[in-house]
Amino acid sequence: MIKPKILYVDDEPLNLMLFRANLSKKYEILTAESGITGLEIIRNTCDICAVISDMRMPYMDGIEFIKASARIKPNISYYILSGFDISDEIQEALDSMLIRKYFRKPFNLKEIDKEIDCPEQSN
Amino acid sequence: MPKFKFEYKITLAYLLIGSLWIIFSDKFLITIIDDIDFLTDVQTYKGWFYVLITALLFFLFLKRHLKDLRTTKKELENHKNNLQNLVLEKTKDLDAAFEQLEKKNKEINLKNQELEKTLTELKEAESHLLQAEKMASIGILTAGIAHEINNPLNYILGGLTGLQQYFEEEKIENEKVTLFTGSIETGIERVNAIVSGLNKLSRNKEAFDEECDVHDIIDNCLNIIGNRLKNGISVSRHFAKDLPVVKGNVGQLHQVFLNILVNASQAIPDKGKIEITTKNEKDAIFIEVKDNGCGIEQGDLKKVTDPFFTTKEPGEGTGLGLAITYNIIEEHKGRLEFESEVDKGTTVRIELPKS
Ligand SMILES: Nc1ncnc2c1ncn2[C@@H]1O[C@H](COP(=O)(O)OP(=O)(O)OP(=O)(O)O)[C@@H](O)[C@H]1O
Ligand SMILES: [Mg+2]
Repeated sequence: MIKPKILYVDDEPLNLMLFRANLSKKYEILTAESGITGLEIIRNTCDICAVISDMRMPYMDGIEFIKASARIKPNISYYILSGFDISDEIQEALDSMLIRKYFRKPFNLKEIDKEIDCPEQSN
Repeated sequence: MPKFKFEYKITLAYLLIGSLWIIFSDKFLITIIDDIDFLTDVQTYKGWFYVLITALLFFLFLKRHLKDLRTTKKELENHKNNLQNLVLEKTKDLDAAFEQLEKKNKEINLKNQELEKTLTELKEAESHLLQAEKMASIGILTAGIAHEINNPLNYILGGLTGLQQYFEEEKIENEKVTLFTGSIETGIERVNAIVSGLNKLSRNKEAFDEECDVHDIIDNCLNIIGNRLKNGISVSRHFAKDLPVVKGNVGQLHQVFLNILVNASQAIPDKGKIEITTKNEKDAIFIEVKDNGCGIEQGDLKKVTDPFFTTKEPGEGTGLGLAITYNIIEEHKGRLEFESEVDKGTTVRIELPKS
């Protein structure tokens, strides 16, 4: 069995670590501390099933990152995380189906696990 | 030499000339005429001649003078007429000016009244603005705080999830662990509720063009809190028959009435009533929620919409309910008013514009 790959982008290292610690049993977790490194991983890795990104990050915010990433890999499911209530920008991204869902921080990892639809692949 | 007036002079001259004429002509005639009868005749002719000459002179003289007088009189009359006309015209002008002045005066009075009205309106707007500004800056601040709290909260939640998983895997199960993880969970939930409230308080724009049926919304809210209403509380609805729908945000208006209804029910210790009245007026609709609960102290009345103002036990109220309500009503361009008397009850009045 091969675990499905998930990329998580957040500028807070502690969030990355906790995410990895809590979900690495079920998924292969890739993490990036910025949209730029995130894009690099997207380019160099195949079979990423889902991408979860924080909204507020320096240099490139979550929506910008997801837009750029979706141009490279349109088939991945994208999700956004934000400490703020839903904003016009996020609503737009939801309406245009750029992202599948929006999670508000603090996020319940179980809820994310439930939402992400990445079947384990047998090999 | 004293100056004599003309009439004296001419009379004197006439007397003198007449006397001289009579004396000298008589003397002269006596010297050249001897015949008495003839002399008498000549003297008669002389008399007639004198009379004729003087009459002629008088005529000429009077004519000239009277003519002068007449023209003068005429001129005077003309003048008088002119003057009269002038006065009439001036009077007319004055009347017009007076009328205009009166009009101006009226206008000024009107303007004054308008100004006074504007001033009170401005004063109202100012206090409104002050409140709005207060809320706006609080909004920006709270949004920032909410975001900053969310990250560490995320660590705690992530850590807790990890711990719970760990305990599960290691099959560590005892009362203490459940108590501790449970209390952490409750803590997180509580903070989360506050932060999400803060977030709602500072929420940026949403759609305000939905058709809102206020009666529907109120009934919905009553259904939602139905089981939270104590048994001793009776709710009566006095709904206007012809209440039109208003433009706004259905979700947010639900929040408004939930907050107000929950507050009303919390204000009632165990028995009481809540009356909901709606009214349809010219430019707006009015909704009144009246309870006969504990009421609000006069000094607190102004503070009820301040964020975090609460008189409730910790954990029971965050004090954000009415702050959020105020913001929502403000965004709907409406008004929110409170009237209250301690131990008698509270009336919350909402005005929502029709368009
Ligand atoms: N109907 C009412 N009768 C008496 N007091 C009221 C009423 N409505 C509001 N108040 C007073 O105003 C305060 C603020 O109300 P608000 O709804 O903002 O916060 P809260 O009810 O205390 O907390 P929360 O709504 O977050 O649960 C209340 O604590 C209470 O003292
Ligand atoms: Mg309340």
